[in-house]
Amino acid sequence: MTRRAAVPAFVLAALLCGTQRSAVAATEPEGHDIRLELSPRICTLAADDKQCNTWVHASWQSPHEESLCLVIVDRPEVKRCWENYSEGTYNIELVFTDDLIFQLKDLDLRRVLASEALRVIKAAIHYRHKRRQPWNLFD
Amino acid sequence: MGIDHPGYVNNSMYAQLFKCLPLIIAGIAQAQAAVSDDDCKGMSDDCVAVGKWNFSVALGAGIRSNPLATGANIPLVVIPQFSYYGKRFFINDLDLGFTLAENTANTFSLVASPGYDRVFFYRSDLQNIFIGGLPGNPGPAAFVVRAAAGSTQTPVRFPPRARHFTYLAGPEWTFKLSGVSGQIDVLHDVTDQNNGTEIRAALGIPLVESKGSLTASAGITWKSAAIVNYYYGAAGIYEAGSALNPFIKLGYTLPLAGKWRFSAFAEYERLGNAIANSPIVEERFVATAFVGAIYTF
Repeated sequence: MTRRAAVPAFVLAALLCGTQRSAVAATEPEGHDIRLELSPRICTLAADDKQCNTWVHASWQSPHEESLCLVIVDRPEVKRCWENYSEGTYNIELVFTDDLIFQLKDLDLRRVLASEALRVIKAAIHYRHKRRQPWNLFD
Repeated sequence: MGIDHPGYVNNSMYAQLFKCLPLIIAGIAQAQAAVSDDDCKGMSDDCVAVGKWNFSVALGAGIRSNPLATGANIPLVVIPQFSYYGKRFFINDLDLGFTLAENTANTFSLVASPGYDRVFFYRSDLQNIFIGGLPGNPGPAAFVVRAAAGSTQTPVRFPPRARHFTYLAGPEWTFKLSGVSGQIDVLHDVTDQNNGTEIRAALGIPLVESKGSLTASAGITWKSAAIVNYYYGAAGIYEAGSALNPFIKLGYTLPLAGKWRFSAFAEYERLGNAIANSPIVEERFVATAFVGAIYTF
């Protein structure tokens, strides 16, 4: 009984694995050889901070010459393009409150060649009631 | 006031009450232990961030009257304020506290707070710094000398003596119901200076809440005979009983540009007979008024 049950389970697992792989491959950037790096990669907001305000250094490298553009998702004003280069760097000062996704795309901005995220980590802020003190002079 | 009594009063009843209250509060805390307050989601008039210091300073013009015969009025010009709230521990100017239990409407804490009356005797008292700006003349008031009210005796000299900085500690219950905030503290001297007991109670009632807010407050301070005599009595000359001081207050605040807000308030406190009848007290009330702006850092 155990063996008979194990065989269909294995087949099912293999099928599921294959399905997941296909799904991952569909969303992966197409330029596997192109490496995109960001610095910093994380912005940590303290309890008092409302937003990140920092210079970001983006750099990319490829074993081949590429024609591509660096963009940030939902930031159409940011776009830097290179034609027939194997590497490039870009520095920009950004103000943001949530994660930023940097992407290298082809010149038509259709295919994503590489992608990297600049994460925002918000310190957990807890709140509690202020002391209510109508007896005191200033309250 | 009706419950003022001449002469020393046996405080055993109040002492018993005081001893029982922590037990009652502990019971409440036990019952409330599982109740965590989760209605504070961000900064607001009612909520504050945990683990963060808060500083502000009030700049303006104001005065607090001094009821002592030799006392000078206390100017209100620069009033620094600070607070810190931990998960349970808090500092609120010169008050310290530890919250035993709280929910949306109620908070039960143990608090320690300075004895209040010393502000009239020493301009250097810390409470005058946090209420009235820089300290002025130090030292105990020089004493004076009229006979107690109703007495036919000739004036006698009231010997000068020190009134030390004291701290009172005990349970505090604060609440907010339908916008009305309330506070009841039952405090006992823990600095072994007078071993007296003090009850502070007040209600704050919002009258207008639009762009600015107008709030009326009314309350009482009850002081045991031990406290009244520590400040206003002298053995063999004037021995007072307990005193009940009622007060009313009207306060208005209006947000201004940036981190500024306009603030004005007026308070009238009537001194209980046991205090007002002391030979060193000339006025039977304390009036306080202030108009200025508060900057929050």
